[in-house]
Amino acid sequence: MTAMPFLGTATSALTGHYATVLIFVLVGFVFAGLALGVAKLIRPSNPSPAKMTTYECGELPIGSSWIRFNVRFYLIALFFIVFDVEVIFLYPWAVMFRTLYPIAGLGAIVFWEMIIFLGILTLGLAYVWAKGDLDWVKKLTERPENGAATAALEEEASAP
Amino acid sequence: MELNLNIPSWSDLRFWLPEAILCITFLVALLGDLVVRGRRTWVPFAVSVAGLITAGAYAVAAMNHGLDAGQFQGHTIMGSLMIVDGMAGFFRLLFIFASLVTVLFAWTSEEIMGKRRENKGEFYALTVLLTAAMMVMAEARDLLMLFLSMEAVGLISYVMAGYMRTSLRSSEASLKYVLFGAVSSAIMLYGMSLLYGMTGAMEFDGIRNALISGTVDPFALLVVVVLILAGMSYKIAAVPFHYWCPDVYEGAPTPVSAIFSVGPKAAGFALMIRFFYTTFAAGTDAGTQLVQDINWPLLVAVMSVATMTYGNLVALRQTNVKRMLAYSSIAHVGYLLMGFVLLSSAGLASILFYLLVYTLMNLGAFFYVVAINNHLKSEELSDYVGIGFRAPWAGAMMVIFLASLTGVPPFAGFVGKFYLFTAVLDKQWFWLAIVAALNSVVSLYYYFKVVRAMFLSTPAEGTDMSPLKLHWLQYVVLAMLAIPTLALGLFFEEFKGLADMAIGMMGG
Amino acid sequence: MGEHILSWMTFFPVIGAAVIAFIPSERKEVIKTVAAAAAAVPLILAVQLFMTFDRTTAGFQFIEHYTWIKSFNIEYFMGIDGLSVPMVLLTAFLSFICVIASWGINKSVKGYFALFLILEAGMFGVFCALDFFLFYVFWEVMLLPMYFLIGIWGGPRREYAAIKFFLYTLAGSVLMLLAMIAFYLHTSDPVTGGHTFNMLHMFDQANHSEWLQGTNVRHVLWLALFIGFAIKVPVFPFHTWLPDAHVEAPTAVSVILAGVLLKMGTYGILRISYPMLPDQALWFSYTLALLGTINILYGAYCAMAQTDMKKLVAYSSVSHMGYVMLGMAAMTSAGINGAVLQMFNHGTITAMMFLCVGVVYDRAHTREINAFGGLGMQMPLYFSFFSFALFAALGLPGLSGFVSEAMIFMGVFPVYRTITIIAALGIIIGAAYVLWMLQRVFLGPKNEKWDSLPDINAREMFTLVPIGILVLLLGVYPMPVLDLMKVTLNNLIKVVAG
Repeated sequence: MTAMPFLGTATSALTGHYATVLIFVLVGFVFAGLALGVAKLIRPSNPSPAKMTTYECGELPIGSSWIRFNVRFYLIALFFIVFDVEVIFLYPWAVMFRTLYPIAGLGAIVFWEMIIFLGILTLGLAYVWAKGDLDWVKKLTERPENGAATAALEEEASAP
Repeated sequence: MELNLNIPSWSDLRFWLPEAILCITFLVALLGDLVVRGRRTWVPFAVSVAGLITAGAYAVAAMNHGLDAGQFQGHTIMGSLMIVDGMAGFFRLLFIFASLVTVLFAWTSEEIMGKRRENKGEFYALTVLLTAAMMVMAEARDLLMLFLSMEAVGLISYVMAGYMRTSLRSSEASLKYVLFGAVSSAIMLYGMSLLYGMTGAMEFDGIRNALISGTVDPFALLVVVVLILAGMSYKIAAVPFHYWCPDVYEGAPTPVSAIFSVGPKAAGFALMIRFFYTTFAAGTDAGTQLVQDINWPLLVAVMSVATMTYGNLVALRQTNVKRMLAYSSIAHVGYLLMGFVLLSSAGLASILFYLLVYTLMNLGAFFYVVAINNHLKSEELSDYVGIGFRAPWAGAMMVIFLASLTGVPPFAGFVGKFYLFTAVLDKQWFWLAIVAALNSVVSLYYYFKVVRAMFLSTPAEGTDMSPLKLHWLQYVVLAMLAIPTLALGLFFEEFKGLADMAIGMMGG
Repeated sequence: MGEHILSWMTFFPVIGAAVIAFIPSERKEVIKTVAAAAAAVPLILAVQLFMTFDRTTAGFQFIEHYTWIKSFNIEYFMGIDGLSVPMVLLTAFLSFICVIASWGINKSVKGYFALFLILEAGMFGVFCALDFFLFYVFWEVMLLPMYFLIGIWGGPRREYAAIKFFLYTLAGSVLMLLAMIAFYLHTSDPVTGGHTFNMLHMFDQANHSEWLQGTNVRHVLWLALFIGFAIKVPVFPFHTWLPDAHVEAPTAVSVILAGVLLKMGTYGILRISYPMLPDQALWFSYTLALLGTINILYGAYCAMAQTDMKKLVAYSSVSHMGYVMLGMAAMTSAGINGAVLQMFNHGTITAMMFLCVGVVYDRAHTREINAFGGLGMQMPLYFSFFSFALFAALGLPGLSGFVSEAMIFMGVFPVYRTITIIAALGIIIGAAYVLWMLQRVFLGPKNEKWDSLPDINAREMFTLVPIGILVLLLGVYPMPVLDLMKVTLNNLIKVVAG
């Protein structure tokens, strides 16, 4: 076995794995660079100050960061995280599913487990949808409280 | 490649039926709420009540079955993530009862059911889910499950605290809860990762074995204990991790505060008991600690004294009944922690028994506040003047709850304290017992400030003294709590036995 | 009823309270009648006790012994001996008198009588319990009703007085609770070997564990128990709740407070501290005598300075309880017999005084001594009753107070000579404040303002006459009460002083 300078005395098996990683990283860079370069070549160039700013989800990138973000961003972020996690769970499941499926009795369990999981998430999506939380402008039926304590707090909050 | 899989088998589910039923109930309640489009609110209410009762019946059956078998040392389920044993059975019943009465009482609460609320169904569904999550906390025997269950309880709590969306107080409560929760979770998670790094195990018994056999640096272990203790202390609101508690309890709708003051705290204690007594001590009646270099009992004892003293002293100055009850619940955590430091099964059983009576009396006191708030729209002590005469039976029950919280015989709170003190004195922690006893004298003053306002003070001229009409369900639920509070003060043999058995049947 | 006479006495008032709770609150007369009946039954049973009590034995009688909480070895264990019998009789007697004396109550009648009856049950329980846990429960059960009775039906500063009473007593009882648990954990049942709350086992020093035999431990336990009881007596530095509570409480409740509740402190010391910690009783006896003397003199001086009649009577109680402590400290037959007799006599005399103050307060709505004058002409019958009570209080020979005080002094003189001489000054100060008050209220020029005051009425007579007869009877012939207790108390002295 030959010791590779940047991996020390790693075994060839490990070296193989790391080589894969290296190749993956390189391909990633090449792909991104290629995409950007090709785009640069073929797209019309019509710059404006707004277009030239750094991308910050529509917020101004320069200035105080202590500003109020629209609360809807958070909502969207939350939904995204919920369904993002779902995908994270799906990956290892999918990998193991192939191994487990042939084992008698286990296949059905593993399959239905994920179905139930997805079903619950779908229910969540349906709930959010039905409650109108997917609308960009949600109609509120609740009116603000006008209790004494709340009023005092509101005053406090509005004070500079 | 050999498969070393920890695949849960479906047959494990039969030990986990109450939790499964509650999860299904949650989904059905949520779906039901969707179908009726938030209009017929009795649908989620009825579904929750039915689900809780069914789960309760199964939990009782499981408990009986376990007791009949003579040994209920527990079934490890879901791989080895959870264990269903005597202690888990005890807490299941406690949580289901607490949630059931909360759900019933919330039905009559203006804060939950008021006209302008649009998410009524969510309250019922979330309470059911909270119950299931708390039950898992009592069953977790693995660091991962421990963290997951705590976070589940936390997340549901954050939402419930902010139930009154348009109320600034409620939203503030929710936000504070989230922020403190996130920080303490992070701290605890750090401790847990260190522990995993040192022992290479996730399961509690695995950690214990590693601690016994391995050479673990005592200082590192101390750091771990402090970090994990911090996270758990946050959950039970022990000083110095209590800051969120008064604000959250005051801001959240009162029925939510009621369940917060009981459920997650009890779950936190269940988790602490299981974690500390299976990893850092050799069982419940160890008498010694496993790792001698770490004097965690003393650490917790100091915390206990600080918690009860702080809670009581600050409660003295409160003028808002709800906030006062929040501080009082901090003080009670201090009492409960006494039982935790004794390294004896009597100490742990006294915690369980105290949690039981605390659930009864504290829920009762909070519910009375709910009932009064429906009429007065206030929780200020000054508005309580003369209220006792306007609803004498409810007032009398409130007196029972408050006297019991103080620890005056013949109410259950006294028996709880008596059992705790007996366990403490048996282990010769004299200073702890004396401080606690004096603390309960201090608590008398603020609990009876409420009684004074209700019955003793003369109402100002022109105060409305017409009788208050309380909902019949409120009387039923209050009686469901007041009668056991009285009865357990006189005949506690059975329930003391239950607590003893639960600890005796705690599996590793 | 014969078998369970003590339980019937204790729980009949509770039944009465339960019945009252379900009577509509407008039916005030019905409620009062039920209360009177519920208080009358224990009185009848008390008479039966008095007739059948065996005076020749020091042991416990009318014993009821059942398991209550098995896992803690808590028992329902009731029984009485010569020490508790006079107290039980006093409780039954005064409770009935007080229900009659409360006939004039008009505010929340239902609550008042229900709470009063629960209070009565608690008092019986304390005097009958022979299981420490049971004793403690009864001891505390009284607090809640008392708090409300003072707090709802009391005078202008009632809220303050009620919580002060509650706080003081609870502070004492938690110390007692800890001492009780320490005793429980270190006393073994000779039969089963387990921990026990049984007082009789606790009395036997052989059942105490090694830890419990340590002198320092016993000193600490003695002090914890003593403070718990001393607050109730009340002994000098812990007495400040008493004037407030007595003054603010309604008349009948003041009577119970002074007549029965104060006795529980000294009863507790004799029942629990003395036999359980006999060497500590001896160790502490000089201090106890000293504290008793301070009580006598301090109470008397304070009484002299009062301008409120009720406060004067309240401080006179502090003074008179000092005699009880002095007698207990002597550890002689005359001393302790005198002390218990004084407990009984003070109960009756002070009850009479409070009832008399109540009579004038009901009419004039003031208790200021200086607001009156020449009342003797206006209310001659009332004058005679009040002066009878006051003379009994100052220890006039022929009335019961004299007998017990004389016995105490005879008992304590050979033991603590100097202290006795100083304490005897208390009698002179006592005479001074009593006579001075009598003079200012009843003699001298008549205050025109009170021209329309009616004399004492039949109901008030009904409450005062029986007590008066008892005071007179025991003043001339104290043997009926002394006979009840002397065997038990002499045995107690043997246990403590060897």
